Amino acid sequence: MNDPASPEQAGDAEYPEWYYDLLARTMGEEKAAWARLPPHEREAELTALHRAFDTPDDLSVWPAELDGGCDRP
Amino acid sequence: MQAPLEFLDTFRRDLRSGGLRFAITSGMACVRYGLQQTTKDSDWIVPPEQAEMLRELLARREGGLAPWAIRYRSIFGAPLEAEWLAGGWTSHLAIRTEATGSDHHLDFFGKPPRVKAWQTDPAEADFADRDTVTRMKKTDRDKDWPIVGGLAAQSFARGDGKALLHLQAVEPLRRAWSATPDAERGAAIAMRPLLAAVDRTADDLHLEFLVRAERLVWEAVNRGRYGLYQSTWKAFYRRWQGAEDCPWPRSGPFADQHHAIVSAARRHGLPSAPLTPSARVTIYEAGLSRAAVLANLEPARLAAVAPPIDEVLP
Repeated sequence: MNDPASPEQAGDAEYPEWYYDLLARTMGEEKAAWARLPPHEREAELTALHRAFDTPDDLSVWPAELDGGCDRP
Repeated sequence: MQAPLEFLDTFRRDLRSGGLRFAITSGMACVRYGLQQTTKDSDWIVPPEQAEMLRELLARREGGLAPWAIRYRSIFGAPLEAEWLAGGWTSHLAIRTEATGSDHHLDFFGKPPRVKAWQTDPAEADFADRDTVTRMKKTDRDKDWPIVGGLAAQSFARGDGKALLHLQAVEPLRRAWSATPDAERGAAIAMRPLLAAVDRTADDLHLEFLVRAERLVWEAVNRGRYGLYQSTWKAFYRRWQGAEDCPWPRSGPFADQHHAIVSAARRHGLPSAPLTPSARVTIYEAGLSRAAVLANLEPARLAAVAPPIDEVLP
């Protein structure tokens, strides 16, 4: 395998720029921007969200990997 | 209140000090890998044979000076017991660590779907590696597939050859394939037949179409797999509740809850491994048929890009 990380690596980003472009296309700009944060900042932001909003994790009462459960046809 | 990520740290320390082998997977692993923002539940892989150790650890927490409240969750939950975990079931618990706090939801896998042998990440020993998480995310939920593509892209950027098995975007897929030595290509194609089409498919749009057709196979087979577990559970639950006045879930010590569901599972026939060899083949073939219709491809053409049964239902 080649070295896909080196030629396009930008600044202190964990991954090359094409990776964040891919995230922006497939997941949206907001998630791509969040992905650029250092891990401790990502997790601090997530903890702040958890403390501020007491919402269920998922609308499904069954786990994703079993998938869906009673709320699915 | 203990935030979900704080609880995650507490529980992983417990598992480590208890000598259990484990891996945090799915949503919380994606958080760690920078791919998901908002999950609160946690998913854990544990070897089925260590289920008893896990229950003992939970019992110690229940009896501690700051006791945890631990219960099976409502609606669905196979026993946290080796034989059911080994058969592909998952167990779903709620844990409250503080009297005034919220429940933390934990899902335990013994045999994670689509994973032959799970691994932890070399740099994050408590977390499932990207290959394991990527395979688990190949569900039939639309929201999981950007995660599949994102994790695969990370793996590629990190120089991990397994990325080739999961990449969804055409451009990095072509780059990864062109960088794969000839000697490794045959093994890669055996696991992901679509790779044989990369070089002979010059049009990116056509290659994207084939990747989507391949995804339809993963989705259709997963749909059949969970449908089997779902219908098996519901049939058991109806037998149980029809025969006994035994509300579920119930309160009380976790050991008592566990005894109740194990006893019910044995009395009312919750099969430990519903995915029998014949059911596996049936589900796979039905998935191929469904995917061929949805992709509007002749079955033979779909078969050329379909992942083999050993990958989809190992």
